[in-house]
Amino acid sequence: MSRRYDSRTTIFSPEGRLYQVEYAMEAIGNAGTAIGILSTDGVVLVGEKKVVSKLLETSTSVEKMYKIDDHVACAVAGIMSDANILINTARLQAQRYAYAYQEPMPVEQLVQSLCDTKQGYTQFGGLRPFGVSFLFAGWDKNYGFQLYMSDPSGNFSGWKAAAIGANNQAAQSILKQDYKDDITREEAVQLAIKVLSKTMDSTSLNSEKLELSEIFLSSGKVKFHVWSADKLNKLLVKSGLTQPAADA
Amino acid sequence: MVGKNCFAIASDRRLGVQLQTIATDFQKIYKIHDKLFIGLAGLATDAQTLHQKLVFRHKLYQLREERDMKPETFASLVSALLYEKRFGPYFCQPVIAGLGDEDKPFICTMDSIGAKELAKDFVVAGTASESLYGACESMFKPDMEAEELFETISQALLSSVDRDCLSGWGGHVYLVTPTEVTERILKGRMD
Repeated sequence: MSRRYDSRTTIFSPEGRLYQVEYAMEAIGNAGTAIGILSTDGVVLVGEKKVVSKLLETSTSVEKMYKIDDHVACAVAGIMSDANILINTARLQAQRYAYAYQEPMPVEQLVQSLCDTKQGYTQFGGLRPFGVSFLFAGWDKNYGFQLYMSDPSGNFSGWKAAAIGANNQAAQSILKQDYKDDITREEAVQLAIKVLSKTMDSTSLNSEKLELSEIFLSSGKVKFHVWSADKLNKLLVKSGLTQPAADA
Repeated sequence: MVGKNCFAIASDRRLGVQLQTIATDFQKIYKIHDKLFIGLAGLATDAQTLHQKLVFRHKLYQLREERDMKPETFASLVSALLYEKRFGPYFCQPVIAGLGDEDKPFICTMDSIGAKELAKDFVVAGTASESLYGACESMFKPDMEAEELFETISQALLSSVDRDCLSGWGGHVYLVTPTEVTERILKGRMD
């Protein structure tokens, strides 16, 4: 490993690698897992909460899921402060498009535009790349429901199911086995929490450690809905992934 | 116009270029969110552009603050946007109406460069504004209930636009209470 080529993001190593980008991906490998699953009638996003403390104000803050526009949302893994900047950028880009064309920005274009921003930090400016990976979930009238994964290099692609953050390879291989093309939104929710429970360190899940959200169509309009702690707890108990309160 | 825990906002429906009437169903009142409406009188292109800019700003506000904008805040936003074009203004007069904290009705208007005019009873704008001032002043009573408020604002609107050749072709009234929004079309003199 040539340590001489580490410090500048904008130069290649002799082996043709960009070390800063790879180190950024390392940082994400330590962050809470996020999984996205595309279904026939929606997209499901689940995230593992890393900051679990009784002192944390949970009523208002959401740690892993963010709405970008009415028809697009994302899950993040990595350095939260970097993520906030990029989410703000994505929101501005979506609104600028909507202002110019008076229609919602197609999901792929939004992801492309954000990834172009990320790429800029790997080629010029001398600034470090963003230490965040995203899972974008959305709906548009061209391609219906879509799921995209993007990483610090500015690379992105569309997925049927994807995982980012800690243990993402393990999650990805379970998804490869269990995903089927005609999965419904309900089944996708079940699959998502099942995969997350297998890759998470803790033995039993509860709503304090998880966030679950869905993008779906309701009376013709796209809705982004984050599940409440109650509803999530009930689902976890029903799926047998958590001990019901009576046992404790 | 302000009523008891409710407000009504109304406009005519004519879009014209001097003496030629282009449309008789032109929308001049826009909803920003369930408890905030803005009516834009004046040049149609400026009204549409201004509305699109306001949607842009309000959507970002909603995403960042995770709540809807209060009417007072929104009025300041509109005023700031208009003043940015101080030396090349939008030819538009907004009328803003909303329910603020504890569903207290809020109304205001401003000139085309953003000078706010707050009122407790009614605000008016447009080519028929002088007639509207007179009609509203005589017909308004404080603390009217929703149905009576609707009647009053409709009568004030229709009688004023009848005195103005550039306004008319019916009316569009939104009546907003803390629980619901009622939209009604008025049939007036179609000329």
